[in-house]
Amino acid sequence: MLRLPWVLGVVAFLATSPAAAEIARIKQSSGIAVVERNAQKLKAAPGLQLLAGDRLVTGKDGRMSLTFIDNTRFAVGPNSRVSVSEFQYDRTRQKGSFVTTVDRGSLAIVSGRIAKSDRDAMKVRTPNSLLGVRGTKFIVAVPK
Amino acid sequence: MIRAGLAVALLALGGCATSSLVLLPDDDGHQGAVAVLESGGAPTDAVIDSGNSRTALGTRAPVAKPLGAYGLKKQEAALLTGLPPPAKSFLLYFEQGTTTLTSQSSAALPALRQEIAARSGPEVEVIGHTDTIGSEEDNDRLSTKRAEEVLTWLASQGFDPSMMSAVGRGERQLMQPTLDNVDNPANRRVEVIVR
Repeated sequence: MLRLPWVLGVVAFLATSPAAAEIARIKQSSGIAVVERNAQKLKAAPGLQLLAGDRLVTGKDGRMSLTFIDNTRFAVGPNSRVSVSEFQYDRTRQKGSFVTTVDRGSLAIVSGRIAKSDRDAMKVRTPNSLLGVRGTKFIVAVPK
Repeated sequence: MIRAGLAVALLALGGCATSSLVLLPDDDGHQGAVAVLESGGAPTDAVIDSGNSRTALGTRAPVAKPLGAYGLKKQEAALLTGLPPPAKSFLLYFEQGTTTLTSQSSAALPALRQEIAARSGPEVEVIGHTDTIGSEEDNDRLSTKRAEEVLTWLASQGFDPSMMSAVGRGERQLMQPTLDNVDNPANRRVEVIVR
């Protein structure tokens, strides 16, 4: 009888841990800068851990920067809405897949290990294009 | 006439609202590339590989144009300035079969502490390794202990353990490939990646 809560606890942990895996961390932010996670709106404070599916939203004076666990770096400009639609990374094999969607605004990217792991393992989608990132530094801008 | 004017105005608007790509050289001077896999709803085989160029996206055949004399727009330059610093990796070496750092690596610890302290919202990944002396199981344990030892030291320096992680990879990722049961100082290491 006493064992049951313990077992349930382990099951709950197993069920939640993959979904809660950190993919990136906020480094800096200023102005209105929010991470949207489902219905939650989290202030993009330095050290905030990001999860796959998170949306990065800034206001007209807002900015934020972040580094992913594969060493990819992002700087998000003002008036932006950027989603990390897909992020899978195997730290041991240093391989994965990474899809970012830029709905509006601007995003500077220095790609990391995922982009190096396989051709077009890292992609960026804008409203009118799909880009395959082949190990590089670039800016994507999507005006309103 | 009025219709033509409207069409021109719409075209101009459309021009403003086009997404764009600015490709830059990497920090190490190497030039990477971005493939335009789809544009304006159709697949393309365009590959943008000229640095310091601007490409309007959404057309069927995207073409890169040099940034030219005007260079980057002010907002673009500000965006690049706002990028976080690159990840930095440290290697620490150990005495054979132990979790004792070599004296040289002990001396390198303050530089590691400084690097973490200088960063905003840091993340620290600690990865332990061994040489090929001993069994695989023992080396998995030893590599994990080495990584945990470094993490414990960092925690003792005041860094929040929740910003750090430690794993051991045993003898599976040799820095210098050797046969089994070879004493190799370069393989007895912990890599610390500071992001």
